[in-house]
Amino acid sequence: MYPMNKIRFLLLFLFATMVVSAQNTDDKKYLLTSKTNTIGISTLSFVDPYLSPLTYDGLAISYDNEARRFLSTENTNISTQSLLNLQAGILLNTPVSSDMLYLGANYGWEMCYHAVIPIKGLKVLVGGLLDIDFGFKNMERNVNNPVNLDISTNLNLSALARYTIPLRHKTLQLQLALQTPVIGYMFVPKAGASYYEMFDLGNLTDAFHFSSLYNKRGLNSTLTVEVPFNRSVWRFGLKMKILRYSANDLVFDKNEFSLLVGTSFDTFNFAGRKNKAPKNFVSTQD
Amino acid sequence: MNEPAEQPNTYKGNFESLWQIIDSKYCYLDYKNINWDSIHTIYAARVDTVKSTFPFFDLMGNMLNELKDGHVNLYSDFNKSHYWKWFQDYPVNFNTTLIYNSRYLGSNYLLAGGFRYGKISNGTIGYMYYDDFSDAFSDSNIAYIMNYFSACKALIIDVRNNGGGSLDYSKQLASYFYKVETLTGYMRHKTGDGHADFSAPVEIKTPASKNIQWQRPVAVLTNRMSYSATNDFVNRMKKAPNAIIVGDKTGGGGGLPLSSELPNGWLVRFSSSPMYDSAMQDTEWGIDPDVRDSIKVEDQAKGIDTIIERAIKIISQ
Repeated sequence: MYPMNKIRFLLLFLFATMVVSAQNTDDKKYLLTSKTNTIGISTLSFVDPYLSPLTYDGLAISYDNEARRFLSTENTNISTQSLLNLQAGILLNTPVSSDMLYLGANYGWEMCYHAVIPIKGLKVLVGGLLDIDFGFKNMERNVNNPVNLDISTNLNLSALARYTIPLRHKTLQLQLALQTPVIGYMFVPKAGASYYEMFDLGNLTDAFHFSSLYNKRGLNSTLTVEVPFNRSVWRFGLKMKILRYSANDLVFDKNEFSLLVGTSFDTFNFAGRKNKAPKNFVSTQD
Repeated sequence: MNEPAEQPNTYKGNFESLWQIIDSKYCYLDYKNINWDSIHTIYAARVDTVKSTFPFFDLMGNMLNELKDGHVNLYSDFNKSHYWKWFQDYPVNFNTTLIYNSRYLGSNYLLAGGFRYGKISNGTIGYMYYDDFSDAFSDSNIAYIMNYFSACKALIIDVRNNGGGSLDYSKQLASYFYKVETLTGYMRHKTGDGHADFSAPVEIKTPASKNIQWQRPVAVLTNRMSYSATNDFVNRMKKAPNAIIVGDKTGGGGGLPLSSELPNGWLVRFSSSPMYDSAMQDTEWGIDPDVRDSIKVEDQAKGIDTIIERAIKIISQ
């Protein structure tokens, strides 16, 4: 009898530990990064009085990359997001006598609090976004002022509402994201100062300005819907950006309306000795 | 944060826009004692008589010519207004037939960057002709040129009929004739719409080239068509240790031009930032040479450029 009891105990112990091990593997949490890449076609409308008193309107193409993740697997109340926007466009003045080449880039880092909303399917995020904005405008026809640079850094208020719409065969995600600059620092030259004087002679007096709601107001709004398919999630959307800022008695406008299309996916990075991929993940590095 | 109201795209609107751009942004209204308000009264009355585009362009161009400034132009798709009296009303003092005869450059001159160069006066003087400050050149170009002239006792840089170009090339060319960085001028810019609203003067210094320095005598030849960036080059060379300016007074053009647009899409170029010499004297009306001379008719008939010969005589001593 004694050896049988021993064997039974051993078997029971083995099964018990196996169950515990299986439970540990199933409970391990992975912090996923939600990434979205979109391309867009935009209409632009600019007023840059340093270059010309006329309004310039045109078309542009853009690329956006977003990557959001929670702070940690334990803290799912706060998430961070990086945002990259690249844009290139051509604009014309109303009489079509001159054109402007525009290249733009914006990189932002956002932190948001995920508010608890007692409405099923609705998530609301609120937070702040710190960005660096760069724009290059070139008007070849101009004399000694063919280029103006838009350089600024801004702290923006940001908010996002996401609503899940369950349909019969798939679940859509409707999202509205809003950002508005609150405080920042920007480069705006004096109207009569040439780039020769600023950069060859080194006279940058009155070229840099503190910005806040009294001299910089804007709204960046993006409305998108994500549609899941068998192996991909596609995002379709509209973006509208309006911005007006002023310094040195010059008032600038930058307005944009875009159609967006892109894809979204979640990723997790396995790397290093302490962060190896589980054995059932197949890698070319193995 | 309200944008200024745009003028309508009518003859009247474009006229008012042009007048306003000059009134608020042109830098020489006070210096030249121009009563721009009176000019508005005179030309506004004529706008109502204009019936088509070409006469309207001429009217606007004539108004701009009241500024007597070669840096002021109106550009349309069919014409560019200009004011040329700064050289048309004066002797030419330059003849390409002369400089390309065998006494000077001849037909076997060398070309580097924008320079045509060769040895003259029995190989004792190096001669360089540079006709456009938009033509790029490098330190390497100049090094080869000066090495070619290494046996010459002096150098002539001829910038007659050089209407200007890049201020960067003006500074670079002058830098080969300085041993130390030297204050050679000032610049101001408009800070407001008032005719006297200017910034504090900003220093303009001519650096000394690190790698190339010509320390023998150099003569810079000028005429009335030496304008804009050439005017700036001559101003810089005025303070170069071994340099002398020979010829006629330069045409001027001391205002760095900027541009703006009218509602109909025409572009207007205008002097915006006045530039001064090291004594804060305006350079808009030109720079006097150290030695004034002009091409004599009898010399020209013999294939002799009087100004070059005068320069040779001075720098050879």
